[in-house]
Amino acid sequence: MFRQPLRNANERLRLFLSERGRRARVLRDSLRWQPDRIDLSSRFVSGFGYGYGKGEARGLELLKEWLSPEQFAQYDAKSYFEVTGCHSGKRYRISHGTSMNIHELDGAGCPCVGWCFAPKGYLVAGDVMLAQKIALETDERGALNVANKFFVPTGRRNMHLPITELGRALAWTSILPRPLTARAPPCIGL
Amino acid sequence: MATQIVMDRTGDTRHNFDAKNTDALLKAEKRFRELTGAGFTAAVRTASGEAVVKRTFDPNAEETLFFPRLVGG
Repeated sequence: MFRQPLRNANERLRLFLSERGRRARVLRDSLRWQPDRIDLSSRFVSGFGYGYGKGEARGLELLKEWLSPEQFAQYDAKSYFEVTGCHSGKRYRISHGTSMNIHELDGAGCPCVGWCFAPKGYLVAGDVMLAQKIALETDERGALNVANKFFVPTGRRNMHLPITELGRALAWTSILPRPLTARAPPCIGL
Repeated sequence: MATQIVMDRTGDTRHNFDAKNTDALLKAEKRFRELTGAGFTAAVRTASGEAVVKRTFDPNAEETLFFPRLVGG
């Protein structure tokens, strides 16, 4: 009896958290691009905070140099960029991150399948995303052969619903502020 | 001045060398062979900004990027 409402509530909560996570990533990246910002982490663990931030920044600088102008603009605005697979011509979205951050896009431009592969060893996010981009653009089959596929929840696929429908679907919940539904993009990245 | 960029945990390590200097070029080629032999992929950018994977050392490449072997996550 309560199964369906629980499922609905669970899905709404997941959508809400996903959107909040995306916003947090966008905010974090926008702060990272400001060179004169105060690095709070360096106040507490001086050596570690500096080294970590420096490596991350170097990785992002390198990524920025190798992205096409369109990809860079997209990444700067949305924390992800899209590439075209060299063999299939399919589009892939590479979101900021080091794992489970690649999504194959369907004809409507929405994530349909997730792919997970990365360079071996510990690398900063910028380096990982750059290696993923080059791999998909130059050796798509080879990259997907080593990759693990992961399921993209139906709800995420359904996030390409027109805003009005999405808003209606989420309207009654009290945890989701109304303006969020109004501003939700047609397809929300991870 | 040409550059070989090797991705690592610090972000990257850059090796600059003069492509007109024979010794420097040999050293760069040796580094290329060692890295690709260890599983690294070498990529260069074309004039249009497109990435191209290189299986052999290109003495004319201004910038060569090396990233480790890809593994499933």
